[in-house]
Amino acid sequence: MITLALEKCSGCSRCEVHCSFFHSGKTGRSGARIKVVKIEASGIDFPVICQHCRERYCTRCPEKAIEVGPSGQIIVSPTLCTACGTCETLCPIGAIELYQEIPYVCDLCGGEPRCVRACTLDAIRYEPEVSEAVSLKEFKKGSRGLKPEEKRLRYTLTCSQDLRDNWVSERRG
Amino acid sequence: MLHAYGGHILSVDLASGHTRREKTDPDYMLQVIGGRGLNSTRLFDELKRDIDPLAPENMLLIGVGPLTGTLLSTSAYMTISGKSPLTGILGDSAAGGFFGPELKQAGYDQIVMTGRSDRPVYLFVADDYVELRDASHLWGKDIWETTAAIRKELNDNAVQIAAIGPAGENLVKYATVACNNSRMCGRTGMGCLFGSKQLKAVAVRGRGQLTMADPLGFLDLCRELDQRILNHPEYEKRNAMGSTLLMKALNGIGILPTRHFQEGLCGYVDSISGERLAEEYKVKNKSCYNCNLHCSRYYLTQAVESEGPEYETLCSYTSRIGIDDLEFALKMNAFLNRMGVDSLSSGETIGWAMECVQRGLLSSDDFDGLDFTWGNTQTVEKLLSMIVYRQGIGDAFAEGTRSLAQRFGRGTEEYALHVKGLDIICGDPRGIKAFGLTYAIASRGGDHLRAEPFFELTERYDEAERRWGVREIADRLADKGKAVLVEHTERQALLTDCLTMCKNVGLSMDILDFDFASQLLQTGTGLKFTAEKVDEALKGVIKRDRLMNIDFGIDASMDTLPKRFTHEPLEKGPSKGQVVPVKEMVKEYYRLRTWDENGKPR
Repeated sequence: MITLALEKCSGCSRCEVHCSFFHSGKTGRSGARIKVVKIEASGIDFPVICQHCRERYCTRCPEKAIEVGPSGQIIVSPTLCTACGTCETLCPIGAIELYQEIPYVCDLCGGEPRCVRACTLDAIRYEPEVSEAVSLKEFKKGSRGLKPEEKRLRYTLTCSQDLRDNWVSERRG
Repeated sequence: MLHAYGGHILSVDLASGHTRREKTDPDYMLQVIGGRGLNSTRLFDELKRDIDPLAPENMLLIGVGPLTGTLLSTSAYMTISGKSPLTGILGDSAAGGFFGPELKQAGYDQIVMTGRSDRPVYLFVADDYVELRDASHLWGKDIWETTAAIRKELNDNAVQIAAIGPAGENLVKYATVACNNSRMCGRTGMGCLFGSKQLKAVAVRGRGQLTMADPLGFLDLCRELDQRILNHPEYEKRNAMGSTLLMKALNGIGILPTRHFQEGLCGYVDSISGERLAEEYKVKNKSCYNCNLHCSRYYLTQAVESEGPEYETLCSYTSRIGIDDLEFALKMNAFLNRMGVDSLSSGETIGWAMECVQRGLLSSDDFDGLDFTWGNTQTVEKLLSMIVYRQGIGDAFAEGTRSLAQRFGRGTEEYALHVKGLDIICGDPRGIKAFGLTYAIASRGGDHLRAEPFFELTERYDEAERRWGVREIADRLADKGKAVLVEHTERQALLTDCLTMCKNVGLSMDILDFDFASQLLQTGTGLKFTAEKVDEALKGVIKRDRLMNIDFGIDASMDTLPKRFTHEPLEKGPSKGQVVPVKEMVKEYYRLRTWDENGKPR
């Protein structure tokens, strides 16, 4: 899976840009399957991407259009998908989102993730051997009705707390 | 199909609320490229010259370059232009961050705002949806609060916002506009222009995607540019410290402004250096959109936290005004970012006051009892707040140094270090002659970014010979050939501004040349941007800027430097004995531009 070294992320969003370009030949946040959340007031930049969660919320697709591939990546069937948006609604962290009626989610670029290659700070890594599924249960609570952008922000605020605490103890003693 | 460009120009009449969305004309863009070139040309064509900059007739333009928001690294900027409230001539200022790319992805190359709203508003643009929204509840809020409040009420953290703080609302003449809280359009008072139109912010959300004419060809060029950045000999230093590396670098060559340019060496430079900032306060690197240099930094002190500061702010609030307290400068950086005040112009008003007091020309009686002894942090902190809210003497300081010195007279004008009303940046031109020429001729006043002739600091003598046939160009103390350098890098600087790219990369690191840019433009946009066509466009913009400034009242006598830099040699250090022979250099520059002896384009 793709893992983060959050303390190294500068928020440049090269991961986003190159993800979008690789998949479509175009650039734009909407076309990226990794999205960097920026919280300027606390210095946090956080690339949100599919966590291959234990619960596999998105696979509860009513059309059975979503399955999990051999590397843990999410595969969306373009023929079965009706763009109903259930996957987007179910994902607790906003890692899958419909854009122009297609669910955008990390597909690991066939084993060579372009976000990892684009990151010159070593903040994003691809570790195929790491597959211990993360539980997103705690984020599921209260995620109903939130837009993907809101879910990403909520997830970021929680997951960046340790880093913030480190900075404060390091610089303010 | 028009590739890479946003594809539309958005016009907004703030008085009536009427908006218009037109298609971008490819033939027109071939003449102006985009960004600053696009803005300048529109001002030249449409702006009434003899207006008060704060009048509703003044135009407020936001331009973004053709390759911004694409795969091209460091093309993260946007440029705001209008008639400057501070100088009364051409005004513009660029900032990086994420606003420019977002505006492009929303489908726009430029926003043109005219008129004045009768109540505080902010402009919200989400792709083809445009709305002027009430901003009464935001008026009075600082930039950070405003950014957070707009994102909250639009319920979208990904909205990119360019906003002003209380300084802009109160028409401080050098108020800034900020993107992402801390990326500043700092110079020439574009925040004041926002305030004069009762425009609190522009909020943008772009859900579109930008196409490229030849995606794979473009990708190859972008990879090449990435490598040029990563393999640059200064990469490590610039990555660690950003522009603050200049504190020690400029002190090392004796041109670090100290006590208002009375000296070029600062004895306590180690305690205010970029190295110390990185070591003791930085917590991580920050970056603009799609950059692989990551030269910005986030820091925490006991009192505050913020992104930055850049070198100009750090120097303005330390050595330039005799302050040795780095934590204080970091606190002021956060304050200036929140309130929306230009650090250079505010810092110059303070340096001027301190020097006038040192020389006995003025005293605390002239300044509401404030004690302008060198390095008095209490005075600085108090004064800044008075400037933002135009209280007491702060009201006069909010007008800028030129106006302030004119008001006091008594020989204080000599110590107001500005060109055409724009305060000089933190680089003593006596030890960097091409910079001196740049300040003198720059079309927005005393500023380096119009040409950034960094080459003269590199000691690349053979390369100077190869490029221009003059070895001395690589010698910072020589004046020979510097007009040639400035004539060249002024076009290069304009090119980066038209592409709304980063000047650190484009110029200081010497990474963007005309052929390379022409290939990027052709593969990106699909338009026939040959190197000749690009050069023609750049020369056209420089000429129009000059003609416009002449209409605004500029003449050859103003293409000069404050007396300090032309007649008072530096007394110590590696630039000892130097002054700038500006007259001869300007003459040579006119000749190369084919302007007449009055500085008028033929």
